[in-house]
Amino acid sequence: MNSTALKWFGRSWMLLVYAFLFLPIFTLVAYSFNDSQLVTVWSHASLRWYKALMHDRDLIAAVMLSLKIAFLSALVSVFFGLFSAFALHRYRRFTGRGLLSSLASTPLVMPDVIVGLSLLLMLVSVQQALGYPERGLFTILLGHALLGTAYATVVVRSRLTEMDSKLEEAAMDLGCRPWQVFTLVTLPLLMPALLSAFLLTFTLSFDDVVLSSFLSGPGYSTMPMVIFSRARLGLNPSINALATVTIVVVSVVVFASTLYSLRQARQRKRDMALAQRE
Amino acid sequence: MENASKSPLANEPLLRIEGVSKIYDGHIKAVDQVTLNVASGEIFALLGGSGCGKSTLLRMLAGFETPSQGRIYLGGTDITELPAYQRPINMMFQSYALFPHLSVSDNIAFGLRRDGMAKEAIAERVEAMLKLVQLSQYAKRKPHQLSGGQQQRVALARSIAKQPKLLLLDEPLGALDKKLRVSTQIELVNIIEEVGVTCVLVTHDQEEAMTMATRMAVMSAGSFLQVGSPKAIYQQPNSRQVADFIGSVNIFDGPVKENHTNYVLVQCADALLRVPHSQPCQDGMGVGVAIRPEKMALSRKKPSAKVNHVAGVVVEMAYFGAHTSYHVKLASGKVLQVQVQSHADEDNADLCWGDQVYASWADNAMVLLTQ
Amino acid sequence: MATLMQSLKRSTPAWLTGRRLVIGLPYAWFLILAFLPVLIVLKISLSEMQTTAVSGMVSWQGAWPSIKLDVSSYLFLASDELYLATYLSSISYAFYTTVLCLGLGYPFAYFMARAPKHWQALLLMLIMLPFWTSFLLRIYAWKTLLVNNGLINNALLAIGWIDSPIEMLNTPFSLMIGMVYSYLPFMILPLYANLSKLDGRYLEAAADLGCHPFKTFWLITVPLSKAGIVAGCMLVFIPAVGEYVIPELLGGPNTLMIGRVLWDEFFSNNDWPMAGAVTIVMLLLIMLPLAIYNKLQSEGRA
Repeated sequence: MNSTALKWFGRSWMLLVYAFLFLPIFTLVAYSFNDSQLVTVWSHASLRWYKALMHDRDLIAAVMLSLKIAFLSALVSVFFGLFSAFALHRYRRFTGRGLLSSLASTPLVMPDVIVGLSLLLMLVSVQQALGYPERGLFTILLGHALLGTAYATVVVRSRLTEMDSKLEEAAMDLGCRPWQVFTLVTLPLLMPALLSAFLLTFTLSFDDVVLSSFLSGPGYSTMPMVIFSRARLGLNPSINALATVTIVVVSVVVFASTLYSLRQARQRKRDMALAQRE
Repeated sequence: MENASKSPLANEPLLRIEGVSKIYDGHIKAVDQVTLNVASGEIFALLGGSGCGKSTLLRMLAGFETPSQGRIYLGGTDITELPAYQRPINMMFQSYALFPHLSVSDNIAFGLRRDGMAKEAIAERVEAMLKLVQLSQYAKRKPHQLSGGQQQRVALARSIAKQPKLLLLDEPLGALDKKLRVSTQIELVNIIEEVGVTCVLVTHDQEEAMTMATRMAVMSAGSFLQVGSPKAIYQQPNSRQVADFIGSVNIFDGPVKENHTNYVLVQCADALLRVPHSQPCQDGMGVGVAIRPEKMALSRKKPSAKVNHVAGVVVEMAYFGAHTSYHVKLASGKVLQVQVQSHADEDNADLCWGDQVYASWADNAMVLLTQ
Repeated sequence: MATLMQSLKRSTPAWLTGRRLVIGLPYAWFLILAFLPVLIVLKISLSEMQTTAVSGMVSWQGAWPSIKLDVSSYLFLASDELYLATYLSSISYAFYTTVLCLGLGYPFAYFMARAPKHWQALLLMLIMLPFWTSFLLRIYAWKTLLVNNGLINNALLAIGWIDSPIEMLNTPFSLMIGMVYSYLPFMILPLYANLSKLDGRYLEAAADLGCHPFKTFWLITVPLSKAGIVAGCMLVFIPAVGEYVIPELLGGPNTLMIGRVLWDEFFSNNDWPMAGAVTIVMLLLIMLPLAIYNKLQSEGRA
């Protein structure tokens, strides 16, 4: 196979994989504008399911709950993720560093059912002993924040590794106490990483069904829990409408942020080239 | 205790390092028993290869590392345990470490703000610093919008803005390309002298050390091999390692044949050398004799003196414009480097590969190395 | 003033330093939420199910605690062949998922890493985009694609390749589609991260020394990307073993996956000790790949 053939082979391979990844998403969007009651039969275009969605009180309440949990969970995750990444990055030697590092990375791969069940059994034990916490928003939040902290740790840690440690030394050299080094230099430089960790952990929480199912109590159904219970029963076109709304929102955010960072990078490159020429 | 009668500060050097060691993992000696005084106004260079301990020593001065043993005094005050942010010492970092999220003027003002200086005073000082390094029109730019040379000047301005008692320079020109370096060296020294700050600089580049420093130390394996002015170290190296590290050198080995009051005769494989010296030697002791390549002369005619010349064959020659470099192979197999200035070259204009030549030198061109 | 400073200093306990706070906070967080729960699951799996609560394991007899271990859940687990079959089929589904993801993802990551630099950010974003949209909704979408009167069957009928719809939903086939679909990005990302760092000069050097491009690929590219391959495989295999949602939505009632068994023991049978035992055995099964994964994580940072 010569290099042109290889190039075309590569292109078609990538195209097929992208088609595989995007086919279900496009179907969801297309069928959300289908008027038919049957999800699979196309009758004609309409906004019928969007109207149905607007009157679906259960689903709207679930979306609201999910947004609330996702926001709080992202905040907590970024907070603890910042600490654990900082601890692992800054302090090379302390007792149990290996354990902390393992504990921080296992939730990334651990099957959800294991995390959910074990957390629930622990919370039940605690509740039996202390009479607190009741299963509900708080317990779901704990589960999501545990998972989110693990992801936030990875994101923040990789940014810290890229960061020049000399910058922190320079700050100290110029008279910053340790906490000033952190707030005046480390934190501002970590801001983009914290922002992307926030978005990532928000999405993870917003998307989770298994942990929520284990940890929620009566009256607390998140959006994925509602979707899941409906999807188990069969196909439901208003879910397509909901999917389309989320996909549009997410795509706009992701596209915009990618374009923004690309433009930033290009501007930076241009600045640097310009500076060299002067 | 001799100083006890005088004022304690009268003879006190600005920086006094006393028996400082840094030991990692209980046995790796990064810095080993270093003692040094640096007087006010000096530009002192620590010169050595990578891993010689020069950076560790500098980091201990800055306060990023604590010595395992020994004390460090600044202006008579013990600063060994003082954290970096409380030392009146500032550092210009290797590759500058300019804060990428702050503008040029905010970078320079950073240290001043930590001191709680008044706003107007800070603005004034920043203005003065920018003027000093000729970057006034770049105040609002971010570091990545500057060229390498401009960044270097911002880093310098930032490190002297707080008017430190001691300025540390970590490979100050290491990130610049060769062409910029020479002009920047001079500029840097001019600014430092204008401000009048005492400096300790770390470099692996001997030319940089020699052009910038008033005094320097050659470091290896955590300790000082020799401390002195660049000229003294170049002309009177005290050991093979120093002679080898600073510039190129030819070293003849052999035993001391005769030991006289002002000179010794050293019997080398290729010649008998008459070396003036001041230190005592014993007969039969193995020594080295160092001669710089530019202090040798080449000739087809055999020199009349009995000593201090060798015979050999030209095996390599390279024309460098201002001088020509020859490699001369001696009977023992040793290859000598000889540099001949172009204006002195008329005699050797026709020297060629394979020619039989004599290399000779003056008595005072030789340095006796006993270690 | 000095005395005030001293009394302030005295009021904060000596052990509370910045370093301890920075390490202690996340440590406590993970110990309580990730480590302690596993111990509690172990404890519960070793206790007896009573009507509503789990029996206490430790009872005090005089001054000495007596510990009562109940291994009946584990005995039942070992004696019932259905559990064994479920574990085995979970592992084989996870294995096939991993192999398929690697087969699809490696060439993809390879070509992506060779694409022009300014395209790579966009290509990467397109891989991440599905990841940012709800996983559940995407699995649900496959359901609409794979049903008997779904888009795929209709398309095949329309072009006349088949006469009657193929039964695809609720089969091992649909399960594998869902699994590969969901886990593919987790394979591609570490592979791409690894391959994009591969120094092109190695390949040029191999070519210069007379190596055929295909041989170069096997002798240079693949060995150098080993870390990426292992990382990708672990990221897919470990969670795939315990997957619950995909088999539930796409696998039909007959596919055996251990995640579903655990779910049913807990939610339908309310048998906590049994659910605990199933979890502990699953944990033991993924211990080895988990250890490899953790080792890679720490090496990657070193």
